Amino acid sequence: MKTIIQWLIEIGKNPSTLSFWLLRLWLGFRALLTGVEKFSGFKIVQEPLLDEAGNPDITGAIVVVKYKFYALGNYHGLPDSLLNTFKKEPLLHPLMLNAFITVLGPLLLLTGGCLLLGLFTRLSLYVMGLLYISLTFGLIMINQNDGVSALAVHVALCAYALHLSAHNKLEIIR
Amino acid sequence: MKQPTFGSLLTRRDFMARSALLGAGTILTSSWAFGESEAKAVAASSSNDIQIAIVGVGAQGRILMDALLQIPNIRVRAVCDIWDYARKYAVNKLKQAGMEATGYIEIEEMLQKEKLDAVVIATPDFWHAPHTNLCLKAGLHVYCEKMMSNTVEGARSMVRTMRETGKLLQIGHQRRSNPRYMHSLFNLIQKGNLLGKMTCASAQWNRAVAEDVGFPKAYEIPAATLSRFGFKDMHQFRNWRWFRDLSGGPISDLGAHQIDIFNWYFGVRPKSLMASGGTDYYKGRQHYDNVMVVYEYPLEHGTARAFYQVQTTTSSGGGYFELFNGDQGSLQISENPRLTKVYRETTAPSWEPLVEKHYLAKSAYVAAPVEKVDSRESKPPEGFEIPVVLNKKLHQPHLENFFEVVRGKGHLNCAADHAFESEASIFPVNAAVEARKVIDLTPRCLLFKIKLKRIIYETCYFIYRTVGGLALKRASCSCQSPRF
Repeated sequence: MKTIIQWLIEIGKNPSTLSFWLLRLWLGFRALLTGVEKFSGFKIVQEPLLDEAGNPDITGAIVVVKYKFYALGNYHGLPDSLLNTFKKEPLLHPLMLNAFITVLGPLLLLTGGCLLLGLFTRLSLYVMGLLYISLTFGLIMINQNDGVSALAVHVALCAYALHLSAHNKLEIIR
Repeated sequence: MKQPTFGSLLTRRDFMARSALLGAGTILTSSWAFGESEAKAVAASSSNDIQIAIVGVGAQGRILMDALLQIPNIRVRAVCDIWDYARKYAVNKLKQAGMEATGYIEIEEMLQKEKLDAVVIATPDFWHAPHTNLCLKAGLHVYCEKMMSNTVEGARSMVRTMRETGKLLQIGHQRRSNPRYMHSLFNLIQKGNLLGKMTCASAQWNRAVAEDVGFPKAYEIPAATLSRFGFKDMHQFRNWRWFRDLSGGPISDLGAHQIDIFNWYFGVRPKSLMASGGTDYYKGRQHYDNVMVVYEYPLEHGTARAFYQVQTTTSSGGGYFELFNGDQGSLQISENPRLTKVYRETTAPSWEPLVEKHYLAKSAYVAAPVEKVDSRESKPPEGFEIPVVLNKKLHQPHLENFFEVVRGKGHLNCAADHAFESEASIFPVNAAVEARKVIDLTPRCLLFKIKLKRIIYETCYFIYRTVGGLALKRASCSCQSPRF
């Protein structure tokens, strides 16, 4: 017990470790949840409108209700609108595009999960940074400058996290 | 123009005999009470099938027929139309649906030969009252298309006959049975007070230019037949909506549905109207091809004005919808679900609870650019959808409501007396355009002018029917009503 407390006090005195943990948590959750969302979808069902008592409404109305759910079959690497825009870009070869959208979701899940667990931390950060750079490449092609700026921040955070990774104190495999 | 007369359609002896057998003995009772009395009669009926006829199978009749074919236990036994072309089409269509329907030109012959429970009437407006009155007096329940008539007197006679015969008379303002319209009124406006104080409304039906309707030469109706049924020629028969003696014109054809929604949603009759219009585009048409009208509704918190326009030269401007504005929100509703939207004013309480209950759904709608162009601009309202869907033909719910009441369940969503109250504010529009002045819509226009002679006649007739009915009951306990 005393050892753990001493360890925490020691870490508390080391701002670099704390900074790295913050970055690791943010980048990890950001990638993991983005990856999870790529498996989300909506099902639209029609059901009777219910009144306050939970009985079918007096109007007999049927309402369309949208429910969100997750399934492997819902996987979409990129939103359709964005994908269609990319398909029109001559510099983005269809084969390359297909390969990218196939691996994007799984890679986000893998790198995010590894970073949070402390598995291959530096490799995960590096791959994550490369993913954001590849996305930046696409957005530059279609003149989405706001998106490019946001991705630049992501890449910068990855780079800084790599820089601080030497101060990581909680990991399974560095 | 020859006016339709029905003195010879049904002999007085036949009429008296039928009326005595019916033995309802109800004169001047409310239409809602009929549903209950009819319920018992229908419940005693051995078959669940309702035997009906369609009178008038033109464009609107076909729409109603398509909807009727979707309703279980409705058997169309006959169709009546003076045009071979339309009649044969309907008979063939019904045959494909597994119904052997007989075609008739004369409605009197149809009523004599067929054993029917109800009729659906979709003839030109000027025939609505004669046909409806005839069928009601023959002991049938009637679903009649709107407008009730081309004249206020005709419409009034329909209500009177409905009351005299005790039969059901539903008028085809089909929005009154549309679940989206019902949900908007009962749940959003009345229960949820979504709009707050309703301050104004507007509605429109903008329709693109359309030429006169033609006809296949081979199917031309003989001139004598046309004349007998009140038409000058085949062109007038096919384009009756543009003739003053036969219809009310676009304000009646298109506006009636939407002005009815003003009256229904506001829950009161307008106190006055002013209108402008003209025959400015189409040469040779008698009715105004564009009309703009403003009604004043006396609501509890003050007057709400409602503007309506019908245009027959453009489909732009949003098509057809009704828009109700309040200090908390606005509701734009249309039979076309894509034209239906609800807007929340930024000062109104949150509508999230209504979204959770599925009364509303969130919308991606953006009312205006974020940046203000003018400093006096209000903040844009938040957009919502109404998630109610109609998985049926448009007229089906209204017809279903009619047949449900024929079977004795519930009450009519648009009984003739309610429709008359609403249509009473539509009849004077053309006159207001012509007069170019404000028309006061006093309740007097709804009053039934019952003369002393008529009161004496109806009292004697009531006694005659009651005594006759009792005598018949005594004579034969097993005597059953021929209709329900």
